[in-house]
Amino acid sequence: MEKTVTELMPPEDLRVDIGAIERSLSEIWRVQKTEGDDEAITRAALWNVVAHTANSNDQADATSTLCQAAASVPQRTIVIQANPAAPPDLASWIGANCHLVGGNKQVCSEEIAIVAGGDRVHRVPPLVHALLIPDMPVAVWWLGDLPHENEEYVHALLGPADRLIVDSSHFDNPADLALVTKVAEQTITAPADLNWSRLEEWRMAAASIFDPREMRARLKMIQRVRIVATVSQDEPLFGENIGALYFAAWLAVQSGHQVDREGRVEGEHGGIEYRFDRRLHTRGGGVAFVEISFDDGSCANITRDRAKGVLVSNVDGVERTPEAVTRSLTNRPHELIVRQLKQPEADKLLVKVLPIATRMAKKAAR
Amino acid sequence: MSVATPPVPEVNPLREGLDQERVPDASCLVIFGAGGDLTHRKLLPALYSLAHDGLLPAGQTIIGFARPDFTDEAFRADVRDACDKYARTRPVDEAIWENFAKGLFYVRGEFGEPAAYNRLKQKLEECDRSRGTGGRRLYYLAVPPAFFPVISDFLGAEGMVTDPEKGGPYTRVIIEKPFGRDLASAKELNRVAVTTFRERQVFRIDHYLGKETVQNLLVLRFANGIFEPFWNRQYIDHVQLTVAESIGVEKRGGYFDTAGITRDIVQNHMLQLVSLIAMEPPVAFEADAIRDEKVKVIRALRALPVDRQDEFVVRGQYSDGSVLGEKAAAYRKEVNVPADSRTETFVAIKAFVDNWRWADVPFYIRAGKRLPKRVTDISIHFRPAPNPLFRRVPGVRVTPNVLAIRIQPDEGISLKFDSKVPGPTVRSAPVTMEFRYATSFGAEPPEAYERLLLETMLGDSTLFARRDEVEAAWAWLDPLLAAWGTSGEPAPYPAGTWGPPEADLLIERDGRRWRRP
Repeated sequence: MEKTVTELMPPEDLRVDIGAIERSLSEIWRVQKTEGDDEAITRAALWNVVAHTANSNDQADATSTLCQAAASVPQRTIVIQANPAAPPDLASWIGANCHLVGGNKQVCSEEIAIVAGGDRVHRVPPLVHALLIPDMPVAVWWLGDLPHENEEYVHALLGPADRLIVDSSHFDNPADLALVTKVAEQTITAPADLNWSRLEEWRMAAASIFDPREMRARLKMIQRVRIVATVSQDEPLFGENIGALYFAAWLAVQSGHQVDREGRVEGEHGGIEYRFDRRLHTRGGGVAFVEISFDDGSCANITRDRAKGVLVSNVDGVERTPEAVTRSLTNRPHELIVRQLKQPEADKLLVKVLPIATRMAKKAAR
Repeated sequence: MSVATPPVPEVNPLREGLDQERVPDASCLVIFGAGGDLTHRKLLPALYSLAHDGLLPAGQTIIGFARPDFTDEAFRADVRDACDKYARTRPVDEAIWENFAKGLFYVRGEFGEPAAYNRLKQKLEECDRSRGTGGRRLYYLAVPPAFFPVISDFLGAEGMVTDPEKGGPYTRVIIEKPFGRDLASAKELNRVAVTTFRERQVFRIDHYLGKETVQNLLVLRFANGIFEPFWNRQYIDHVQLTVAESIGVEKRGGYFDTAGITRDIVQNHMLQLVSLIAMEPPVAFEADAIRDEKVKVIRALRALPVDRQDEFVVRGQYSDGSVLGEKAAAYRKEVNVPADSRTETFVAIKAFVDNWRWADVPFYIRAGKRLPKRVTDISIHFRPAPNPLFRRVPGVRVTPNVLAIRIQPDEGISLKFDSKVPGPTVRSAPVTMEFRYATSFGAEPPEAYERLLLETMLGDSTLFARRDEVEAAWAWLDPLLAAWGTSGEPAPYPAGTWGPPEADLLIERDGRRWRRP
């Protein structure tokens, strides 16, 4: 399927009055229909996507990422730059992202940018709520660290949200993870984490080890799990550990291990050791190696073969199966966002994993 | 430390939440006819794409069985060529290929050569040991139906088929259409099948059922509350189905001339579509529950009156013309087609499903080669609004609503309805509300064969034709085909047109027109 991002009207984003955003958007389409071949353009939206940023760099990233994502998931995009430390201001711009989908059919998504500073930041949530397309699901993508110290603002913006998308690799404090857990447990907003999505290839590789019937039985025989996380510095940001914690929590939950409040893990045959090691890498926050040892002395591991762009799973011991190869997934931001938006329902697995990862974080920190 | 063996979970819990929650156990897939076009263009590329997407288990093994004197290495090179040219997931990923290629093997042999089955058996046992395939077997018969009895007899005689009633690893056989050329031959094929296999081991592939949009018919009808209340004779005026191909018979002239479009397309693909459109809600989303309802539709098809067939059926054959700007020669000038052939390359049928829901609602179905474009389209034409309100209003022309389902290409669904044209006077115009897969979901759907191969490995027969469906379809068409065999000529139509004028007349006589898909 051919897909090309094209520039369509207006050629540059158009500054509009806050009170006239919706009317100005309608005007764009009316003018276009009068001037052009209306058969060739479809205005489409499957989601309202609200990106919340705190600075202009993140705002630019969010705009470009969602423009690309709109090619796969048409959406009304609202990108907010809210900075309480900036001078008081509230301004808005509108634009459209159009994509050629097969032949000459153009599918267009609308984009609204809102910049708020000073005490005007608190006017943003009600403004955003008024701009949402009715009856379409709402995703709030929170770029950067979650302001756990300003929960009220987070909850105000999340009011109508079906989905909260974060990237926990940017979290600087366990309280951020706790806030996501709280959102999952106490609101109708389902959390999604790009950091968790990046683990998908590792989960697939681990799952492939246990696909054969003989191996499936051995899930209950896990004795020790060692996970090597990639970190970008000797004293890593808290968020750089979360990928490994998620993996461990997921394996524990799905294997039926019990994790107590202090992060200790018990299986059917006694305690199970989950060990977290670190390896310096240019990009922190990922997983570099996993080793799963069984109580009969055999062992399975997953390594990344960067040259070939795959993860390789091996089993060595009593049971032997041909090695499994899992294609590394491209984890560009817009692809991760698209994956989230294509999931029609909440990620129930992440909801199960979040509290366990929080418990394991306590043990890993000691 | 020694511990008791814990019970094995039925499904792999680590698959939860992943794209593919079910991955089959590793098996040996033997492709009979590994040198053929279907294998090269469809099966092998589909298998590679499954591996690429992480949907094949480690250890999955594919054994090509054919006449040419290939080695494993030569077979792998041939598979690589097929993947490079035809795989959906091109370009081929070297790391995935390297691992995939380790599971490719070749056994040379004639279909009727006992020693070849011996070699095959040894290879299978070797793979069980080295690749963990555990005795699980899939036999894909990508061969003309005439070879089916031979292969099936040898597999049975050599002890290469397990009985599912006795437990143990599974054996499944996959058969390609045509499932016979009439009711008698279909019954004979089915009889042969069940002498070696049980019905539930037989997977009859109709690749239309692997298409996303065909599967979406069930979701559209039974997952939405708004359609089903109107899905009956009270609200639906008629249904149209078109399967149009712009190509001619290409290299298949020899086969096609013995079959014709009715056997090639209507007996299988089109009747599958009719049954999905017309079926009652199944009691469960399970293979037999769905197929039970489908077969009831085919059995409810009103017999075509052979003595008045002109009122219900039109057959045509393309003559010289042009398609998509290219000159196209007449059917009778195609390679391996006799110059006096009477085989139909176009058919239009007015059919009725004689049951409570569909009584007297015509289903107009047409299929043809060398039509203006390649398209498969189903349209549900609703009865018009009663109209008294706008009868005397000039500028308002009430047109019936049409729900159109595009199966290929540009898959999607559209609903046509009337709307007021903005302005001071009351005028109406039909407008279309469209859903397109490409716009809404972006991702390219998997090839039909990928889905069907995976379902076979998983043992889910929902998307495969059952014996009684196949036989019921032949039973409906048999009298017509028999009559054609002895009399009449197909009406000519220039290549690049929508069939002979008689096809238009067939529907226009009823005050209706073919939709332009």
